Amino acid sequence: MEYIKQGFIEAFQLLLQFDPEVYDVIGLSLFVSTSATVIAAFVFVPLGVYLGIKDFKGKKMISRLIYTSMSIPSVIVGLVVALLLARRGPLGFLGLLYTPKAMIIAQTILVIPLILGLTYSMAKNRGVAIHKVAKSLGGTRWDSVILIIRELRIDILVNLATSFSRAISEVGAVMIVGGNIKGQTRVITTTISMMNSMGEYPMAIALGTILLIISFGIHSIIYSYSQEE
Amino acid sequence: MELGIHNLRKRYQNEVVLDIDDLTIEEGVITGITGPNGSGKTTLLNVIAGIEDCYEGKVLYGGKSYSDEIKLKTTLVFQKPYLFRRSVFDNIAYPLNLRKVPRDTVQEKVREIGNLLSINDLMNKKGHQLSGGESQKVALARAMVMEPELLLLDEPTASLDPESVVKIEKSLTEYQKWKGCTVVIITHNIEQSRRLCDKVICLERGKVALNGVL
Ligand SMILES: Nc1ncnc2c1ncn2[C@@H]1O[C@H](COP(=O)(O)OP(=O)(O)O)[C@@H](O)[C@H]1O
Ligand SMILES: [Mg+2]
Repeated sequence: MEYIKQGFIEAFQLLLQFDPEVYDVIGLSLFVSTSATVIAAFVFVPLGVYLGIKDFKGKKMISRLIYTSMSIPSVIVGLVVALLLARRGPLGFLGLLYTPKAMIIAQTILVIPLILGLTYSMAKNRGVAIHKVAKSLGGTRWDSVILIIRELRIDILVNLATSFSRAISEVGAVMIVGGNIKGQTRVITTTISMMNSMGEYPMAIALGTILLIISFGIHSIIYSYSQEE
Repeated sequence: MELGIHNLRKRYQNEVVLDIDDLTIEEGVITGITGPNGSGKTTLLNVIAGIEDCYEGKVLYGGKSYSDEIKLKTTLVFQKPYLFRRSVFDNIAYPLNLRKVPRDTVQEKVREIGNLLSINDLMNKKGHQLSGGESQKVALARAMVMEPELLLLDEPTASLDPESVVKIEKSLTEYQKWKGCTVVIITHNIEQSRRLCDKVICLERGKVALNGVL
């Protein structure tokens, strides 16, 4: 039990001393997962809303496809991206494997189904009524999409926070495509995993605490924003 | 614009909810639609408004089929209005902003309609925080401000207090005379249809049971 107590004490020392290695790792995690969420959101929030309010043949099939792909394992995404980006792979000439860019690509692909699925089901349930109002006032389908995004912005933010949390807390994809290289592609989760296997508990505990604070923090900010509205 | 409905059939899961062979709704007057609950009144209005576009038969607007041009000249006020999460002013301005109307004109038109319906004191409140009756008035204003040629109203006075009912009826008749638009209004109140309507259509189980003057 002593090592756990000692671990926590040293963890807080690391955080309070602003150990540059710790903060580099935190910074990269935030950068990679934020980029992935924002990039995916730009395209797939509007697309999710659009598909949610549109009637088309095979909508049931598409729904099923979107919902099942939401639970895709991050290791699989990592593996596929790594195969594509490998030096001998089809996109090998880009030289992206084991760089933060590769990690952003992998996490973007990981959160796309989540963002698409959550937005889609939100629009299907609550967007249709808003679409009818916009249409009755002379709006096009794209006017409806813009209006629904504005009307349901809080739900959309909650969805994005959920997707961001999934991204920042996954290990599989970033480990495979990033390679956990010191000073280059090391993020919170890959460091925790490595430090743990090396028995370096203080560092693992420090980063674990930060990961929790980030996840809780994001959700509580959005919660208070939604209360204000 | 005159409305012509021909061989209209609308089903929900194989149940026929509308079955109208021939019906003309006259241009430039107020037509009332009455009938028991579930007789298809709301469905008929949704079909005419182009909100419901999956049906058999034809609906003609001044002799023409539904198009984007017709869409811009037609509007429907829903039975349970949905107001946007923004100020009442911005709610009413929405259809004008869609049409890229210049800012000054928007200000002017919104005030004008606000005066007509006596809702200028609501302008700065949030749309989604209004009472049922207030929402109905604002939704009506949002429809009137776009000066439609065809104004469709689904029980627009259902949640209003008696005093507001009288006021809104007066404003509606005034507005219709002023703009000369075609109005179709669903109402359960025979007295109201006497006061407002030039023509009344009564629906029963999706069919026209009565069509005439009260
Ligand atoms: N979306 C829907 N799905 C299935 N049935 C519907 C739907 N909308 C309306 N109906 C049915 O169609 C009939 C007519 O409804 P409606 O037009 O709302 O009647 P009214 O407005 O005259 O009360 C009712 O029996 C109702 O249950
Ligand atoms: Mg009805």
